[in-house]
Amino acid sequence: MVIVQVITGGLLLGAVYALFSSGLTLIWGMMNVVNFAHGDFVMIGMYVAFLIYTYLNGGPIEFVLASAVVLFVLGVWSYTGLVRHVMSGTLLSQMLATFGLALVLRYATFWIFSSNFRSLPEDLIGGTLNLGGILISMPKLVAGVVAIALTLGLHGLLTRTAIGSQLLAVSEDRNAAMLMGIRPDRMQALAWGLAGAGTGIAGALIATFYYISPSVGETLALVAFVVVALGGFGSVPGALIAGLLIGVIQELSAYLLGPVYKDVVVYALFVAVLWIRPQGLFGKF
Amino acid sequence: MLLEARQVTKSFGAFTAVADVDLGVAAGEMIGLIGPNGAGKSTFFNCLTGDYAPSAGTIRFDDHDVTNAPPERHARLGIGRTYQVPATFEDMTVLENVMVGAFLRHPHRGEARDAALAVIELTEMTEQRHLRARTLGTPGRKRLEIARAMATQPRLLLLDEALAGLTPAEIQRAMDLVRKIHATGVTLVIVEHIMEVILTLAERIVVFNQGKVIAQGKPDDVVRNEQVIEAYLGRRKAHRR
Amino acid sequence: MRWVWIALGAVFLAYPWVLAGPFYERMGALVLLAAISGSAWNLLGGYAGQASVGHAIFYGAGAYLPLLVFTQWGLPPIAGLPAGIAVSVLIALVIGIPTFRLLGHYFTMATVAVAELVRLVVSNWDLLGAAVGLSGPAVSRGWWDLSFRSSIPYYYIFLAVLAVVLLVTWQMERSRMGFYLRAIKAGDRAARSLGVPVRRYKLYALMLSAAFTSVAGSLYALMVGFVDPDSGLGILISIEMLIIAALGGAGTLFGPLLGAVILIPLQNATNSWFGGSGSGATYVIYGGIIMLIARYQPGGLMNAWHALQERRHRRAAAVEPRHAA
Repeated sequence: MVIVQVITGGLLLGAVYALFSSGLTLIWGMMNVVNFAHGDFVMIGMYVAFLIYTYLNGGPIEFVLASAVVLFVLGVWSYTGLVRHVMSGTLLSQMLATFGLALVLRYATFWIFSSNFRSLPEDLIGGTLNLGGILISMPKLVAGVVAIALTLGLHGLLTRTAIGSQLLAVSEDRNAAMLMGIRPDRMQALAWGLAGAGTGIAGALIATFYYISPSVGETLALVAFVVVALGGFGSVPGALIAGLLIGVIQELSAYLLGPVYKDVVVYALFVAVLWIRPQGLFGKF
Repeated sequence: MLLEARQVTKSFGAFTAVADVDLGVAAGEMIGLIGPNGAGKSTFFNCLTGDYAPSAGTIRFDDHDVTNAPPERHARLGIGRTYQVPATFEDMTVLENVMVGAFLRHPHRGEARDAALAVIELTEMTEQRHLRARTLGTPGRKRLEIARAMATQPRLLLLDEALAGLTPAEIQRAMDLVRKIHATGVTLVIVEHIMEVILTLAERIVVFNQGKVIAQGKPDDVVRNEQVIEAYLGRRKAHRR
Repeated sequence: MRWVWIALGAVFLAYPWVLAGPFYERMGALVLLAAISGSAWNLLGGYAGQASVGHAIFYGAGAYLPLLVFTQWGLPPIAGLPAGIAVSVLIALVIGIPTFRLLGHYFTMATVAVAELVRLVVSNWDLLGAAVGLSGPAVSRGWWDLSFRSSIPYYYIFLAVLAVVLLVTWQMERSRMGFYLRAIKAGDRAARSLGVPVRRYKLYALMLSAAFTSVAGSLYALMVGFVDPDSGLGILISIEMLIIAALGGAGTLFGPLLGAVILIPLQNATNSWFGGSGSGATYVIYGGIIMLIARYQPGGLMNAWHALQERRHRRAAAVEPRHAA
């Protein structure tokens, strides 16, 4: 019974992983740029939630929306102000750009808020749900369900709408897209905005049951890398499946081996994936 | 035969870009591969250079099986190539670019430098030898690619649209270079889009269409081939006759 | 080239006499140490263009092993230096062999993940002092412990090591390997078509880079006499190497030295301006610097200088009479 509970918890956590990893995989798949500041985007989302709750007395709906807006803007700016200018450069300069951004976000937060761990009150979203002996914490349930819905929504947006096909057109062939009257720069900025918004929502959701600190992004970035590597670069459904898988593996290893091994197992898995199947479990190339 | 491709097939998923192509190249020949866009000539070319592994068939070079060999082994055995879109090392000078090629046969810096300078002389780039590749225009970079490949001392040189995007005067100059290289004893296979140019240059023409070789022979015979006119020059012209 | 070496040598040999006092002596030693690790990173990240964000693994291996041989067997710490190199090269192979089959980003990501994995494992490994870390001899038992109160002996040891690292880099830069690495950075595919065994040369560069980084870690452990997971294996160690090389000029011989000369004093200054939480400000500045480099001067300061010279060169070439085409 406990195992079922652990697995359920893992699935819900994994759903949130999937949501913020979709942003990373979207950008990566579309323009072959890795956003090394991605984990710090999640972290900023968490702080937005924390600030709105603490200083403006905002509830979950308010801070999730606020976080989405803030991160959308941050995402768009990251592209138009920084990444756009280094796209044609070397791999090193692309990497430096987003790495620099990560440092600035992380340590500005550290500077302003210190390294103290913060958290939102546990009873912010209901308490615990008892499903025939399986106890599920409400914050995780809400976060997990919303995250799955949004990840599927993002997938739908990419595959079923005009905007989605324009985004894909740009990623397939920039010049051809331009000839069709699509403005690649605008679409790519939009992709960064969408990735940012999804990440912001994920950050706000995860803040309801996770500790908040300036360095939390480092851990979460690695989780996102693992999810993307496992799910295949550029694949949102891949990220969903891989995210759920990682969530379950993490919770199971914490339960069976002890909390310390929670991250060790995930990183080891990542290294194993790079060794054995570098294109990811569902990768195309 | 210096190079012998037998029943080479290359598919990408369900799409077969090259189907059952046979080609033999004797030492000292100069061969032109032509065909409309998407005819499979570039894909076939990339199979010859080791950039693609053929899905089926065999390729032998000088009694070595190179069907699945990586590009660096091709270079070592004596196959040089250029790229359709020049892939010069932009931050390195002309001399340094050519030295990268020369190091294949001359491990020591001084010898590599001398060998590179000789090739630069041959390709008439002596004046530009200290300029970075990025500062050269398209003709210069195409020339540099040829120089760089020549520095590996190839017996077979594969040129991928070395003349595309050049002005008539530049084409003339590039053709002179190609003839000069051929005269030194290097066998040449040239993929070319501009038919007029290749007809005056090559001794034998191989025509691709829809992944297959539809004709080959002397330039004069090939241009009179009905199938070639149909496929390559388009129906429009065939109907007009 | 020769006068550059002589001038630099003279400046660095004279430095402790010009700026005397423990503060400047220690800072000088730290600048040299940062230049060593930055130059080591540069071999792979600068010349071959394979950006690693996990070099702390090699630095950490270099820092832990001397203190491990001391705590385990009472050996002089320096005895752990070769072991550190061996371990580092081994780890380099484990990371490099699978990831160099793949393109750019994979390698970078793998280095981040492996570094974090190693840090977590070491933080929980009692043999290596877990979260507390390891310490060297509290009291020097003899000269062979290389444990000095003053920073000056370390300064000159570091200077000698830096000279070796730079000489090796210089020779490599001029040799076939240097040309091959630069070709790989410029274009994998074209390099292969010219017969460059790309994976093998990336591995060579990684192994050499790992070995030198490990030496830097050992020197750090010798001077400080202490290492814990953060000071030996933290991600900031890797980031510092990368920034130092990128600021001065990735892929240039003296770039990392220039970067270290600028960044280490800057770091000292920001730490003293902003006090306790100053490390936050320091890394905000670091981050800002690398964003600016990436955006405006991806080649770093040395390359900006080279570009300037190049322009002069080209102008001179344009004046020369042209031969008929």
